[in-house]
Amino acid sequence: MEANPVVHNTFVLMRDYSRPPESVFRAFSDVATKRRWFAEGDHHLVEQFELDFRVGGAERLRYRLSPKTPFPNALIAAEGVCLDIVPDRRVVIASAMTFESRPISVTLVTATLTAIDSGTRLTCIHQGVFFDGADGPQIREAGWVKLLERLGTAV
Amino acid sequence: MTAAAANIDDVFRALGDPTRRKIIEQLSAKPVSASALAEPLGITLTAVGQHIRVLERSGLVQSEKVGRVRTCRVRAAGFAVIERWIDSQRTLWQTRLDRLAQVLEEPE
Repeated sequence: MEANPVVHNTFVLMRDYSRPPESVFRAFSDVATKRRWFAEGDHHLVEQFELDFRVGGAERLRYRLSPKTPFPNALIAAEGVCLDIVPDRRVVIASAMTFESRPISVTLVTATLTAIDSGTRLTCIHQGVFFDGADGPQIREAGWVKLLERLGTAV
Repeated sequence: MTAAAANIDDVFRALGDPTRRKIIEQLSAKPVSASALAEPLGITLTAVGQHIRVLERSGLVQSEKVGRVRTCRVRAAGFAVIERWIDSQRTLWQTRLDRLAQVLEEPE
């Protein structure tokens, strides 16, 4: 781990939903709906979410981690682009993420919708390259080491 | 569960307690025995053992028992941001897809 400048990682998630593919697809294409499941979260506050849902269109997400996390108020930003859209079938989005303005990962997310008897099967393939090169040690310093320092003053 | 596979939530939980943060702070200086941790914290050895178990589960701390002495130390790899980041992205997407189910359940 320490010797590698980058780490590649792929994970696959699968979910069955009780709605038809058109409804699930709408949750990807409608910006207000996507904001609710994709952008919002219990551990952060969304500062910005924009989605221009067309091939070549941009997806922008900026959020700050909540004060109760190990990185209070840290800014995480994802700048993405829609690469492939097949209505009711597929959405492919690539995005570059930064942690406190430092590049930390680039991901390619392929969401495939398949009609099943009970509704829709969503397969989500998340392929990422996680940087642990020049910026890695800096992130480490800015992150966990800073955390330890902060703990020293907080306790 | 291996430490590398420890969930980011375990880390949040582990660090959410002031006593455990004090333990990490002490261990970040040097390895310390469980009994030496207990004294300045004003808690029992049993209580220290419970905190250590939570910290070990989070991958942040490791301990080793030699004879009657349990020595605890910070596990440097547990602080590897990249592993944590990958874990957190997986957890994030699992949460997202569960939340999508809730959104889809609502009447259109």
